[in-house]
Amino acid sequence: MVDLIAKSACAGLLPITIGSLTLTEETPDPVTSIAPFKGQSEAVSERLESALGLKFPAPNRSASKSGARIVWAGQGRALLMGAAAPDLAGLAALTDQSDANAIVTLKGEGAEDALARLVPVDLRAAHFKRGHTARTFLGHMSASITRTGVDSFEITVFRAMAGTLVHELTEAMESLHARRSHLGQ
Amino acid sequence: MRLTCPVCGDRDHREFTYKGDAVMLDRPAPDAGTDAWDSYLHLRDNPCGDTRDLWYHDPCGAWVVVERNTVTHAVTGTALASEAKR
Amino acid sequence: MRYSGLQVLKEGLFGQKGWKPVWRDPAPKSEYDIIIIGGGGHGLSTAYYLAKEHGLTNIAVLEKGYLGGGNVGRNTTIVRANYFLPGNSEFYSHSLKLWETLEQDLNYNVMHSQRGLINLFHSDGQRDAFVRRGNAMINQGDDAELLDRAGVRKHLPYLDFDNIRFPVYGGLLHRRGGTARHDAVAWGYARGADQRGVDLIQNCEVTGIDIENGKVRGVQTTRGAIRAKKVAIVTAGRSGQVAALAGMRLPIESHILQAFVTEGLKPVIDHVVSFGMGHFYISQSDKGGLVFGGDLDFYSSYASRGNLPMKEHVMDAAMTLMPIIGKAKVLRSWGGIMDMTPDGSPIIDKTDTEGLFVDCGWCYGGFKAVPGSGFSLAHLIATGNHHAPAARYRLDRFRTGYGIMDEEGKGSQHNLH
Ligand SMILES: Cc1cc2nc3c(=O)[nH]c(=O)nc-3n(C[C@H](O)[C@H](O)[C@H](O)COP(=O)(O)OP(=O)(O)OC[C@H]3O[C@@H](n4cnc5c(N)ncnc54)[C@H](O)[C@@H]3O)c2cc1C
Ligand SMILES: [Zn+2]
Repeated sequence: MVDLIAKSACAGLLPITIGSLTLTEETPDPVTSIAPFKGQSEAVSERLESALGLKFPAPNRSASKSGARIVWAGQGRALLMGAAAPDLAGLAALTDQSDANAIVTLKGEGAEDALARLVPVDLRAAHFKRGHTARTFLGHMSASITRTGVDSFEITVFRAMAGTLVHELTEAMESLHARRSHLGQ
Repeated sequence: MRLTCPVCGDRDHREFTYKGDAVMLDRPAPDAGTDAWDSYLHLRDNPCGDTRDLWYHDPCGAWVVVERNTVTHAVTGTALASEAKR
Repeated sequence: MRYSGLQVLKEGLFGQKGWKPVWRDPAPKSEYDIIIIGGGGHGLSTAYYLAKEHGLTNIAVLEKGYLGGGNVGRNTTIVRANYFLPGNSEFYSHSLKLWETLEQDLNYNVMHSQRGLINLFHSDGQRDAFVRRGNAMINQGDDAELLDRAGVRKHLPYLDFDNIRFPVYGGLLHRRGGTARHDAVAWGYARGADQRGVDLIQNCEVTGIDIENGKVRGVQTTRGAIRAKKVAIVTAGRSGQVAALAGMRLPIESHILQAFVTEGLKPVIDHVVSFGMGHFYISQSDKGGLVFGGDLDFYSSYASRGNLPMKEHVMDAAMTLMPIIGKAKVLRSWGGIMDMTPDGSPIIDKTDTEGLFVDCGWCYGGFKAVPGSGFSLAHLIATGNHHAPAARYRLDRFRTGYGIMDEEGKGSQHNLH
């Protein structure tokens, strides 16, 4: 048998630091998509809470606890990252999504300004607080964006888009930095 | 133009894919006959003014019925297609 | 008044004082043989060919605004005959032949310029599709040449040939394709029709269509009722509204298409160029402005103006293909109301009401069709028979499923074209 070497989605591309911003890769394992069956959202939420202390998130929300994070991922669906899902047989459709996405963290002062160049959603802290998440676009890519801290965002796109994601973000970071240096900020 | 997704909230219209007139919600019976199917699939009121049409919110997967004006682009209401179907 | 070079010279020497209004401004009569609703390119050319080819002159063209104020004055002026499917192929071929003698025919300079049109392709699959299209064009008796990369480079050295996502593989050159001055086309046909006795009536909106026992009797307008034996609806983006006056629903949705023009520049783009992958096409006007556009805004609208995301998208595509134009300043942008059919092809047909005709569904490509559409609709109105090149433009093709002409192969559904 050939030994396959596991490579993360952004291997060789990250980390990158430009000005005040750093872009690093996240590799939570495992990642599971949880889609409750009709009428079972409550039951799923209870089961998740007793197992992991995390409820099934409301739209546009995420939650985290001891290294595990659950992020709302569209109508009737959430992604559980960094912890195995409890037994939800008969309650929800589970799909293994480990390695299916490219997940990065953009961190540093000005992170929301860099994202404002790419994302058609207002991500400023007054509107978009820690734990808030948005399914939206980053450039032309579908993306899931979650505020994980005062100046940090977690961004998830399909794995095949890793190169484009890094390219788009790097360009936004660079032009932001260039503008700020130019203005002497 | 901005549209309010009943699930995600107020969003840029780039996030939506347009389907067309909300007549698509009223599918005729399979044996309703050629006229009914022609009318459903092809013929349109194509109103100059208030209209109801279907948009898909790509990020969350919701089908949304949008009430808007085709002249002013004013949006007067949105609802989930699954609930608005009448 | 016949126009000639000599006359231009003479008027130049004597202060341009001898020019006369190009058409009359008659009050509507109470009755005509034929009423054309809509004074755009198609309405005016229909009136012209009814008079010229069929000797029918007791005709009124009713225009709610001013002549040429609709799409005929808002388009990006591209004229070509590079269609693929039977039905479209012969129609646009016929139309292009009319274009080629139009200026002599009308005695009017419409600035028709056969500067050549190049459709670029960016993949092997797309090359195959263009080879097929080129063969269809040649079989139709029109011209097409396949260009490889070097061939394209000779014509368009300024493209970004090695763009990572959309490298230029080659292009299909249609030498007889080009542009014309859009307003002049409307004015030329208006003048020709007027000279033959057609009444061109502006500021006259049709507000009702009178039908008795299944036969058309005339129209109601903002300038009074007018009787007529035959009425043709030729109102482009407003087709649905006008047809509703006759109790009809059409297979049409109205959408916005935008166009853009930059400040005047020295000659830089000699052809019409279209980007095979990014919905962008461009040419340079005789005044020097770069005239370009892209895709529809993609939701039904009568706003006559577009939204920002499509502007951004078009500029994006432009920069991908030809970064050299990045410094040019866009002066204006505007939108026109497009009559979109489910298969992207037009309709020239009778209706269930005797004496009532429709000519619509030109989508974003009806400027090049102005001569052909007028010629074929005039034939249909005058003789009662479909004109051969337009014989497939039937109103009932969606209902029956027979004769769908989906040039883009996207499916015969609204909002796919
Ligand atoms: C931005 C843009 C770019 C385009 N580019 C191209 C191109 O490059 N090549 C090409 O071939 N085609 C192009 N087209 C398409 C082309 O312009 C149209 O298909 C064509 O002009 C439509 O026919 P028309 O000239 O008769 O329409 P119009 O000029 O719109 O004429 C219809 C007329 O009907 C009148 N009317 C409406 N309702 C009434 C009423 N109730 N009573 C009386 N009058 C009424 C209107 O006022 C209008 O003047 C483009 C269109 C747009 C908007
Ligand atoms: Zn949504």
